Amino acid sequence: MALSDWNIVTRSLRSRWFSTLLTAMSVAIAVGLMTLLISMRSAGENAFKRGTGNVEILISKESGPLASVLNSLFYAEAPGNSILYSQFQELKKDYPFAWTVPTQLGDSYQGSPVMGTTSEFFEVFEPAIGTPWSLAKGRIFESSFEVVVGSEASKLNRLNIGDSIVLQHGAPQSAGGHHHDVFEFNVVGILNPTGTAHDRAVFTDLTSAWILHAHDRREAQQGEHVHTLESDLIESDKKITGIYASIGTRKAALTQILSSLRRDPNWTIASPSSTVGNLFQIVSNIDQILLAMAIAVLLSSGVSILVALYNSMDQRRHQIAVLRVLGASKMRVFNLIFTESAMIGVFGGSVGVGLAIISGRAVSIALQSKVGVFIEPSLPLDGYLMILLATIALSCIAGIIPATIAYRTSVVRSLRHSVS
Amino acid sequence: MATTEHPESSKLDHALELVGVKYQYQKSSELALSINKLDVAPQEQVVITGRSGCGKSTLLHLIAGLMDPTEGSISVAGSPMSSMSGSKRDQFRGRHIGMVFQTFHLLNGFTVLENVLAALMFSDFPRSEHRSRAKQLIERLGINTPSARIQDLSVGQQQRVAVARAIACSPKIVLADEPTAALDPEFTNVAMDLLQDACRSIGASLVCVTHDLSIVERFDRHVSMQVPQTQEHA
Repeated sequence: MALSDWNIVTRSLRSRWFSTLLTAMSVAIAVGLMTLLISMRSAGENAFKRGTGNVEILISKESGPLASVLNSLFYAEAPGNSILYSQFQELKKDYPFAWTVPTQLGDSYQGSPVMGTTSEFFEVFEPAIGTPWSLAKGRIFESSFEVVVGSEASKLNRLNIGDSIVLQHGAPQSAGGHHHDVFEFNVVGILNPTGTAHDRAVFTDLTSAWILHAHDRREAQQGEHVHTLESDLIESDKKITGIYASIGTRKAALTQILSSLRRDPNWTIASPSSTVGNLFQIVSNIDQILLAMAIAVLLSSGVSILVALYNSMDQRRHQIAVLRVLGASKMRVFNLIFTESAMIGVFGGSVGVGLAIISGRAVSIALQSKVGVFIEPSLPLDGYLMILLATIALSCIAGIIPATIAYRTSVVRSLRHSVS
Repeated sequence: MATTEHPESSKLDHALELVGVKYQYQKSSELALSINKLDVAPQEQVVITGRSGCGKSTLLHLIAGLMDPTEGSISVAGSPMSSMSGSKRDQFRGRHIGMVFQTFHLLNGFTVLENVLAALMFSDFPRSEHRSRAKQLIERLGINTPSARIQDLSVGQQQRVAVARAIACSPKIVLADEPTAALDPEFTNVAMDLLQDACRSIGASLVCVTHDLSIVERFDRHVSMQVPQTQEHA
């Protein structure tokens, strides 16, 4: 094969491989960081909004709406304050809700949160709008001490239909919670994935959840060998931590109901989608700063391309002069250096986009297991191409000065001052 | 001033023709070179000698089109170099002029074969023939390590590569700048045989500038250059 400009470019880059690699890696890190931030930005908001499902009003006794949403819908922590079931029933009567679902959090299984609820949770509540629950295996719980397991929780804990499990008191994050050893729960259903925090939860009926805590109360009062049944439950055992509610098709009434509910200081009322929206408004200021930092890093890596090529020009003058003697035009040597710069951009940009995709996946997995939010940080192909093209353009701009030096290299002077 | 004409130049096309060529490094500086007329016939081998500073190397750089004369015209193989645009001149140099330097100026980090291929990149030869032509040349010039890197070669081997590269594009004229200055005396004749035979083999003219008077006899013609304004015909 004949020698080509491409061979000269690659040979030159390889001869300075360490400097080339460092420069390309600085570009890659900057591109990766920027791409990840851009892709996470929209994916995060979408995932959080999707995770609120079709809940229009979230009622709890949390310290604020954000804590209420994060704890009751995203299982961030066990809610601090509880609501008596009787209060829930009164509230249902007072307001024209289309549906309400009581939820009770406070136990866990092997790091997965356990929610006590009613069968309506699977009938009227949609974990993501337009995506109702569906079972991968088995059925919904029909009696006490039966559990239905979210898709992630079943994978994580390798649970299958027929397995028996013992729950632990306290949220997954809390340390030192005792096991409710006396009560074994049977796995009766495995849910299909929904891409929301609910996938990593385990669901049982409210009565079972109440019995566990009633047993703790009775054990403290009567000793270790007490046996607790549903009939032993007293009013104060019947507690829930949140209420999912919707007003159905009468959307115009939503504002009025919300403001009416908010007038009662006993309740913390959240409109989940707007709470998530507010959260992202706060976060967006931070990620704009991060984005600006990523752009600054990208620009500085452009400068590092310029410096790396500029520093190499002293060594390159002889090669350029020899190529000129052999017949290379000024423009051709300009293009050689320009191509080198673009190559660093292509390599750094491609690795950077690759890094963003891989680290995005890692962040997605981490967020899903820690926060329970399914975030898929990705951009359309056009988006990745645009970032790659912008990186190459920046590299080309960085290559203009060294390429101009090559263009203006005096052949005679360079040959005189160099010894082959 | 030097005025040298090949005896048969009127009957032949010129491989090289310089008319009224003067060169100053800066407008206000003294003349670095002044030649009224210098012709070199096709396949003729001319040696140019002179003291340091008389402009021998400058002359070669002017002929190669690496510098522009302040005055006068330079034609190589009938083509007026001094009136060509920069890129045309580069293209012309790549196709019709070969150069050999005292320190060879080979491409470090590249192999023997690649150094010869580098010259062919700018030639008229079809790309498909580059490799076979470069290999033939290397073999013909007695280099048996085409894959060796330049920095791993002896001075004598580097000289061979420099000659192979100079004649790779089958030039009309080869310009040699002190080709034996880096060599021990016992290798001078070997190196000159190599260079002169290579030029003969492709029918190229040779213009060699040197301090080494021991090689003058080997050439068809000897031109002595002196500092400008006092230059005389040898």
